[in-house]
Amino acid sequence: MLFEKITALYPTLTTQDFQPKTGTIVLQNDSDGKGDYIAKWEHPTLPRPTDEQLA
Amino acid sequence: MSSLTILGDTSGSVVLQAPAVSGSTTLTLPAATGTVMVSGNIPAFSAYIGSVPTITTSTWTKVQFNTESFDTANCFDSTTNYRFTPNVAGYYQISSLVRVDSGSSWSACAVYKNGSFYRYGLNANATPNDTFVTLSTLMYLNGSTDYIEMYVYQSSGANRTLSTGISASEFSAFLARTA
Repeated sequence: MLFEKITALYPTLTTQDFQPKTGTIVLQNDSDGKGDYIAKWEHPTLPRPTDEQLA
Repeated sequence: MSSLTILGDTSGSVVLQAPAVSGSTTLTLPAATGTVMVSGNIPAFSAYIGSVPTITTSTWTKVQFNTESFDTANCFDSTTNYRFTPNVAGYYQISSLVRVDSGSSWSACAVYKNGSFYRYGLNANATPNDTFVTLSTLMYLNGSTDYIEMYVYQSSGANRTLSTGISASEFSAFLARTA
């Protein structure tokens, strides 16, 4: 799953980084068969992962 | 009042039916222009989850409310996009209930308007019990292109399922007043 790939890439991230209200990262799944994707990435220090990093 | 004008199709008729009781009945029209809403043209729907969805941790996932209890104006899509696109402009009361099985430290549901986050309800439950999350909000929808969908979120660290059935899940809306 996308969450596991991202946290494996950035082990310092926790679920709090994704939580409503406090988080800076939003993962989303529109239940359209296309799977999870990054809807928002506003982390102050970590760059948004590339598609290659998440492949 | 100087006159009463009835406009419309050249065929058919308009019937004002008096009550079948004696006495006088007064209908007072407001000093405003608008569409009279009766039971036949007020959109309202209620749907629930009919088959178990899996929600990935920390991921906002659209809920497939795929079983309708009612849908008075056929404005809810319960087969493809799971969205409500009302055909009357106005202010809609939106409600939702989901139950995250086995719980999560954080569970939330959110209404999305036209694909974007609008408002959410949150249950910060520190126990592993099943977690109920509810949401209620009043919002404007333009009656043509605006649509809403319901998303759910859980941060257990693992996949979770949502409870099914009318007693444990609901997505509903109705027109509170026209624009």
